[in-house]
Amino acid sequence: MSSLARHRGLTAIWSSERGWKGWFSTVNHNDVGLMFLVTASFYFLVGGILAMLIRAQLATPHSAFAGPEIYSQIFTMHGTIMMFLFAIPMIEGLAIYLLPKMLGTRDLAYPRLTAYGFWCYFFGGAMLLISLLFGIAPDGGWFMYPPLTGKIYSPGINTDFWLIGITFVEISAICAAVEFTVTILKYRAPGMTLGKMPIFAWYMLVVSLMILTGFPPLILGSILLELERAFGMPFFQVELGGDSLLWQHLFWLFGHPEVYIIFLPAAGVVSTILPVMSSTTLLGYRWVVAAAVALAILSFGLWVHHMFTTGIPHMGLAFFSAASTLVAVPTAVQVFAWIGTMWKGTPHLRLPMLHILGFFVTFVIGGLTGVMVAVVPFDWQVHDTAFVTAHLHYVLFGGFVFPVLAGIYYWLPLVTGNRRFFRLGEMAFALIFVGFHVTFLAMHWVGLMGQRRRISTYAPEDGWTAINLISSVGGFVMAFGLAMVLIEIVLTLVVRHRAPRNPWRSGTLEWAVPRPSAAYTFASLPRVASRDPLWDDPGLPARIARGEGYLGEPRNGWRETLMVDIASGEPEQHVVYPSNTRLPIVLSAITGLFFLSLLVKVYWLTPIAVAGVVALAWRWIWRLGSKADLGDQPIGHGVRIATVAEVDRPPGWWGSVFLLVANATLFGSLLFGYAFLWTIAPGWPPPAFIQPSVPVLIAAPAGAALALVGALGAVRINRTGGNPSGFLLTALAGGICLSAAFAGLLWGAPSPTGHAYGATVWVLGCYGLAHALLVGLMASFVFARQRAGFVSPRRRAELAIVSVWGAYLLVVTCLIVLAVYLPGLVT
Amino acid sequence: MLDPGGPAARSISMLWWGMLIAFTAIFALVMALLALAWRPARDGAARSSSERTWIIGLGLVFPSVILISLLAYGLWLGERLIPRDDPDVTRVTAEARRWSWTFSYDQNPGRTTLNVLHIPAGRPVDVAITTADVIHSFWVPRLAGKLDAIPGHVNVLRIEADLPGTYAGQSAEFSGPGYDGHTFSVVAHGPEDWQSFLEGGL
Amino acid sequence: MKDLLRILVSPVIWLASFSAIYALHGLVCAVDPGMPGPGIAWPRLVLSLAFGLAILVQIGLLALLASARFGAAPGFVRFVSLAGGWVGLVATVWTLIPTLATTPCG
Ligand code: HEM
Ligand SMILES: [Cu+2]
Repeated sequence: MSSLARHRGLTAIWSSERGWKGWFSTVNHNDVGLMFLVTASFYFLVGGILAMLIRAQLATPHSAFAGPEIYSQIFTMHGTIMMFLFAIPMIEGLAIYLLPKMLGTRDLAYPRLTAYGFWCYFFGGAMLLISLLFGIAPDGGWFMYPPLTGKIYSPGINTDFWLIGITFVEISAICAAVEFTVTILKYRAPGMTLGKMPIFAWYMLVVSLMILTGFPPLILGSILLELERAFGMPFFQVELGGDSLLWQHLFWLFGHPEVYIIFLPAAGVVSTILPVMSSTTLLGYRWVVAAAVALAILSFGLWVHHMFTTGIPHMGLAFFSAASTLVAVPTAVQVFAWIGTMWKGTPHLRLPMLHILGFFVTFVIGGLTGVMVAVVPFDWQVHDTAFVTAHLHYVLFGGFVFPVLAGIYYWLPLVTGNRRFFRLGEMAFALIFVGFHVTFLAMHWVGLMGQRRRISTYAPEDGWTAINLISSVGGFVMAFGLAMVLIEIVLTLVVRHRAPRNPWRSGTLEWAVPRPSAAYTFASLPRVASRDPLWDDPGLPARIARGEGYLGEPRNGWRETLMVDIASGEPEQHVVYPSNTRLPIVLSAITGLFFLSLLVKVYWLTPIAVAGVVALAWRWIWRLGSKADLGDQPIGHGVRIATVAEVDRPPGWWGSVFLLVANATLFGSLLFGYAFLWTIAPGWPPPAFIQPSVPVLIAAPAGAALALVGALGAVRINRTGGNPSGFLLTALAGGICLSAAFAGLLWGAPSPTGHAYGATVWVLGCYGLAHALLVGLMASFVFARQRAGFVSPRRRAELAIVSVWGAYLLVVTCLIVLAVYLPGLVT
Repeated sequence: MLDPGGPAARSISMLWWGMLIAFTAIFALVMALLALAWRPARDGAARSSSERTWIIGLGLVFPSVILISLLAYGLWLGERLIPRDDPDVTRVTAEARRWSWTFSYDQNPGRTTLNVLHIPAGRPVDVAITTADVIHSFWVPRLAGKLDAIPGHVNVLRIEADLPGTYAGQSAEFSGPGYDGHTFSVVAHGPEDWQSFLEGGL
Repeated sequence: MKDLLRILVSPVIWLASFSAIYALHGLVCAVDPGMPGPGIAWPRLVLSLAFGLAILVQIGLLALLASARFGAAPGFVRFVSLAGGWVGLVATVWTLIPTLATTPCG
């Protein structure tokens, strides 16, 4: 088969529907990645406009531009949009677009989930945007501290937009994180061991694990606060046994890792581009990987540094001050590895490199002021002043926006196939760089002079007028530069000026795909032997196009790729992806309906939406698999391997494991909240503890155990050729019994609105109930599949997934029963 | 904070200047290393590019030494600034609400003042901070760092003014539309004035 | 998966012990910081013991990661997992040293 025929054949299989309809049904990372990037850029524009409004307001004293009510919405939405609707989705888009190409595979692990995540982001973002347009946007600051954001002090719908909209958007981050983790671990080019992965993949692996464990505390916090606002369950109300400090803990348990979730992908971009710009390899690759891992985990032990002024005992503060200074060490390792890389090679001053230099200057200053605020007494002074705002922008703009701009200019030829024609970028960089430093250097100073953050105006007597004016002028200069970048990107898209295939002479695989990237990404999957395959073999792209790698023959209309062994990178499973479908957008619209019903308090709609989600999810997985054994599939080079339906650990198993990591973090945060209220909140112990009910004590563990035994038994008997239906029905019975037990537990629970204790017991019980129902549903699904002929001794993959969830269910059931009943037993 | 009027604020201000100087030097060092990467390479051996120098030396050891010293100093200073038993200390209470501050005085129960806190100059004062509604923060930049007023909790902040005079204070936690104007002042009195304040004068 | 665990285990255990000791600190101060202890105040005694235990666990982990039986095969993963082991140990000492020096409940 000629290269051209192969190109045509693969394109027919992989391309999205023609015309505008294609956008709604595409599941291809080449499309969805760009959709993320474009939408995130749009929100950068919106957030940037809000920033300009802030600077306009603060430029002069006694500003009459916006009153405090509107101004609160402006800064809250600026922070919220930048963090949740710009930075995180930008990372998702970049990684969705790049990871498969860098790893040498054809798509991410779950293409439909990629699209689902995008639509959740799209609809959730739209909710927030609408609130902004109607002037009913959130106004409690981006960290939304109760009681200010409680029903009493914020009776309007503003806060609900934040809690519900952001949770909706968060779904996309969790989906992406599961997807990236599995993709990086299991979907790589043959021969790519862990130590040969491109450095960006390592960073994204670390970041994905961070999202899985960092976002759940915020999701939990948002749920609890919304429950308090909507139904009066008093988690944060001190009069009823709640404590507003719990929110601060949950928020910052998320919030601090969040800033590293934003910084680390950018550091991955720097680690990728900088060596190329210096014509060399990264100095100390393994050190950099170790530093990224260290940074990621250390960053989970810093959250209280946002709470230095809340009156926590000095030893408590000291732990977090120590941890906050310690994270500077792995950061320094990376910075010096980068500078060492430049020394090792010969740096060239191309445009991406300019932005990397901008990153160095800005980020180093931000890091140093970060160390300053890690010193407790200093933070007591500058906390909540413009100094902190300046610091956080040095880190976020320096540590994220500059690297992203470098990345955009670096990968633009890959996306568009074109080179820049009008050289606006250099001028734009100068404006951005100068504008940024003028804006924010000034803000440090005015903060030290006592200017608080989030004030809408100040008086001439304060003596801050000149500095603020300078800062605002700087802001507008920077905005001008950013606008030029936008113009240049659009021009590069439309003005055809063909770029060479590997314009920067880089060594990583993303430059081996056709340019601009084709729908199928790789015509065949290359075998790699080093971290820079294109340097080993500059002819690799041509060989890939000639089909000399694996899976080079288009067949059966299949979208095929390979899964590999984690450590060795050897092919392990043969994957056939689902193709274009509107299921993701429909499912996310119905998910949106669920959130909308909560937002506008039309509660009769909520169960309907839940039922809709369940029905569509059922359909979603029903479409996978086949009714006949396919046997081992040839993948080229004389190798045959099993397809994913015929293995013990299919993609769904891996996805479940990492989804459960996130789920367990959510549950752990809930237990933490319970223990926290118990020890710290003033209104404890509650008036009475719930007395253990013997039937529940028996039925709950028994039901959970039954469910697990059924799931495991089904796997076993199926393997030996027996019929698993009996065991599946046992699992279902276990699920039903357990659901009844949790219902009984809730029946005997105290009122959820009287005291935070009762509220917590209710949430614990409902969590257990939901999981019991879920496992029951899964058992019924597999039962139905078995009936329909999708399961055979070979096609066993689906059964394995139920056991993972069953095991999780057993563990949480025991913990819930213990947490609910133990206090009553003891007292 | 740059113009301290009491011991706590003064030591923090000195900490700031110390850090500013040290960190400016570090920043200059990093920038110099960055700039030196651009000098033309005459022969490959002239430039050091070993993992040992860059990663262990500059990446691990160098920051560790600085950070540990800074941490130790910061903790020592923190220990000195937290309130401890002291026979000389005056106790007052500050209750915040949207958007005012009510102060009361242990030595003169029953007396309260609105938005003006009276203290004796030259003596340590412990302010017990509470709130009647949302979270606020008690901050007199020229005297000491800030401490939050959190529903259901009482936090105690040690402040001290060197000299008699009036010091501006403000709440430093966003609390809604009236936040801009949520300010107060602290009046430090000489011994006689303080006595007459306690006796109901002023 | 095993390799991933080897890389992550020590820092994750640091995180667990760090959080646990912070929680213990909250608990100890909530109970009664004033109760007399043997020679040193009892909150500090309890916390320092926990600190010592956390260090021992990290040393044990490092030994395991370096051992032939549980450690990774020589190469990239071994280097990174040993680095992780050191990160865990250093982080434990560095971040929990305040148990020995600062005021527990003031
Ligand atoms: C485009 C240039 C930007 C300008 C001129 C700008 C300006 C500002 C200003 C003046 C404030 C302070 C408002 C106040 O508290 O008084 C602020 C707050 C904030 N900014 Fe930006 N910003 C920019 C970009 C960004 C980016 C890229 C991010 C994050 C990725 C970001 C995240 C935040 C956050 C989280 C806050 C805090 C909001 C709050 O207090 O609730 N900003 N910004
Ligand atoms: Cu932080």
